[in-house]
Amino acid sequence: MSKQIKVALIGNPNTGKTSVFNQLTGLNQKVGNYPGITVEKKEGVCKLPRGIKAHILDLPGTYSLNATSLDENVVIELLLNKSHKDFPDVAVVISDVENLKRNLLLFTQIKDLKIPAILAINMADRMDRKGISLDIELLEKKLNTKIALVSSRKGTGIDTIKELILEYRKLPTEPCVNASVIDKDYFENLQNAFPDQELYKLWLVITQDVNFVQLNRHTIPDTSSFNTKSRSELKRLQQKEAICRYQFINGTLKEGYKVDAGAAKGLRASLDRVLTHKVWGYVIFFAILLLIFQTIFNWSQYPMDYIDELFASFSEWAKATLPAGVFTNLISEGLIPGIGGIVIFIPQIAFLFLFISLLEESGYMSRVVFLMDKGMRRFGLSGKSVVPLISGTACAIPAVMATRNIENWKERLITILVTPFMTCSARLPVYLIIIALVIPDKRFMGLNYQGLMLMALYLIGFITAVGSAYLLHKVMKTRTKSFFMVEMPNYKVPLLKNVALTVLEKTKSFVFGAGKIILAISIILWFLASNGPSDKYANAEEIVTEKHRGQDISEEDLNTEIASYQLENSYIGIIGKAIEPAIQPLGYDWKIGIALVSSFAAREVFVGTLATIYSVGSEEESTIKNRMAAEINPVTGGKLFNLASGVSLLLFYAFAMQCMSTLAIVKRETNSWKWPMAQLILMSGFAYIVALIAYQVLK
Amino acid sequence: MPDIQTILVYAALAIAVGFLVKKFFLPKKKTKKACSNQDCGCH
Amino acid sequence: MKTTIAHLKRGEKGIIKDISIDNVPVKLFEMGCLPGNEVELLQVAPFRDPLYLNINGSFFSIRRETALLIEIEKLNETRAL
Repeated sequence: MSKQIKVALIGNPNTGKTSVFNQLTGLNQKVGNYPGITVEKKEGVCKLPRGIKAHILDLPGTYSLNATSLDENVVIELLLNKSHKDFPDVAVVISDVENLKRNLLLFTQIKDLKIPAILAINMADRMDRKGISLDIELLEKKLNTKIALVSSRKGTGIDTIKELILEYRKLPTEPCVNASVIDKDYFENLQNAFPDQELYKLWLVITQDVNFVQLNRHTIPDTSSFNTKSRSELKRLQQKEAICRYQFINGTLKEGYKVDAGAAKGLRASLDRVLTHKVWGYVIFFAILLLIFQTIFNWSQYPMDYIDELFASFSEWAKATLPAGVFTNLISEGLIPGIGGIVIFIPQIAFLFLFISLLEESGYMSRVVFLMDKGMRRFGLSGKSVVPLISGTACAIPAVMATRNIENWKERLITILVTPFMTCSARLPVYLIIIALVIPDKRFMGLNYQGLMLMALYLIGFITAVGSAYLLHKVMKTRTKSFFMVEMPNYKVPLLKNVALTVLEKTKSFVFGAGKIILAISIILWFLASNGPSDKYANAEEIVTEKHRGQDISEEDLNTEIASYQLENSYIGIIGKAIEPAIQPLGYDWKIGIALVSSFAAREVFVGTLATIYSVGSEEESTIKNRMAAEINPVTGGKLFNLASGVSLLLFYAFAMQCMSTLAIVKRETNSWKWPMAQLILMSGFAYIVALIAYQVLK
Repeated sequence: MPDIQTILVYAALAIAVGFLVKKFFLPKKKTKKACSNQDCGCH
Repeated sequence: MKTTIAHLKRGEKGIIKDISIDNVPVKLFEMGCLPGNEVELLQVAPFRDPLYLNINGSFFSIRRETALLIEIEKLNETRAL
């Protein structure tokens, strides 16, 4: 295999960096994590002319080489460490033609590190509309680089980038700004103290904000030959550096960049007038939320019903076709329903991420942050917490990861701690099936009761999240002052390709990440339900037949009784019975107990577990829902799933911390077991109490 | 005298348990060993 | 009393005079929030917080507490560019 050219895509957020990445790599991309931290790592392979390939690394968006978040820190750590395996041969700096001035700041910093850099000026399709004209040749000369004028939307200029990557050895590496002029003596001392090091690199290492970034600075101690400055002095120098860079940039753009001011701001101003309006802004935001949830509920119902039936008939077919035996039972009763329990999620996850990525791509999400910041801050959260909280409606795991761009540690911690209260998509199947069982399918003023109940559950989750955030805010002591800055990007028509790739990638990560766990658990559950420790299990048939000897009982009734006797004496029945006394006051029986226990691995297992339990207990293949509806509570003799037990169960699932994966991610993000354990105990305890009250009141 | 189907069931069970154990216990050890902080200084 | 960004009304512009360096993060400098640059207040959220600004061609929002640290001189009329 020939050596690939290592390329890093660097750029400010909202410059269409991901679009360029998608254009360069197509579907040859994979998304993972940086080792030890949970910053998303996107990489892919790009085919260049003449059969040469390039490895493309899409670095997290950053405004500069001064990190204020973990995401940005990834960029710095990579660019400062030449021995890093991903250290780029060439950097492609993506900039937005409308924000060129600010985008060039990062470019000049990268040039100072003497990394060969190509400047890609994106959104070229907007130039005409905005009255922008560029003198590329002049800019190339002034900036000491090669420029590719790109429109990732139209797909133009991508070939130019490829050509330039191919020729990267010819790129000049001289810096275009000399940062050391801001304090000549200081920089001279610095260089003398560390003659082997790149000067600008030294400066960056010294000025990184160590409160947030765990960058190792042991290579630059205070030595007699070199005295470090106070924080305040360093900051003054950093401001000088920014001024110095902007002076250079302004000088450069004055000649090479012309804007015809007659071309108006147009779209941004008029849309913002409505979308960030004190009243209409909120009305529109909540209308959008309502629309999203009603749509997810209504649209995904059709493919979900279809998937449900498909897997039911598939498992029937497998049972009839394959040679009879225990492994066939495993396939038809454990494996196929288990896979069905994963596939049935796909429509909802896809729809939710469709909406989330549309909101993000269009630039609307930043307006939501703007609108919500003041309100969220009262609860100890930040406007930036809105995005994790909304992402929490898909899955708490990416949502907890999405808190990384909250600079303030306290706000970030609170967001992490309360996000699991948001209704994640794993709760959705539990909600859907229980709502369908206990809430009437009627309409009130055109709104479906079941849809309203679902929305109420989402609201309860949200209210509990902000409520507990408020409590945490009051209890926890403030250490650092919060800082908040959100860019308000231009409104854009979302790119279909980006949206589609996001939806595809999120769905894939669910199916192959969580899906494997669910499948493994359904196999284990099937085994536990189909085997028992005592003779009672093995001899169930004789024991039950003996009991009914001489009685007039149909064969069908006898078989059902044998099956349920077997289940009672299986491993899983023994576990369920052991916890039954604790959950009986909530209106649950030992079968629900089994499902609750298995939910701690992943909530969505609830439905699959019940499916396994019931299909084991019955011979005819009715769908899961009908089977659950027929279940009788052994204590009361009424339906097991009635309004009281249904609401109790819904509330238990709304509040309990039942997800091992979330606990693991919280441990990783907070770097301590203290917080995930607090979540587990407090959330589940609260859930138990609320569910208990609900059942006892409604009973 | 176990038949082939019983053997397959136990094999599937072993894979499933092995997978879950690996999923929930091994990554934690890895995280502890990960040297993202020591390895990334400026050299 | 000093005039700061927080004292602008919606649609008003000013020129940045002085910044309380110790309390304003470097990130804001790099976004173009530097003495001499023009700032325009585009939109305010309820309770006048946060503030949606256009500084030096960059559009972003900051909180009122940060805006109070950036001293400006108001431009009385909207100049035609």
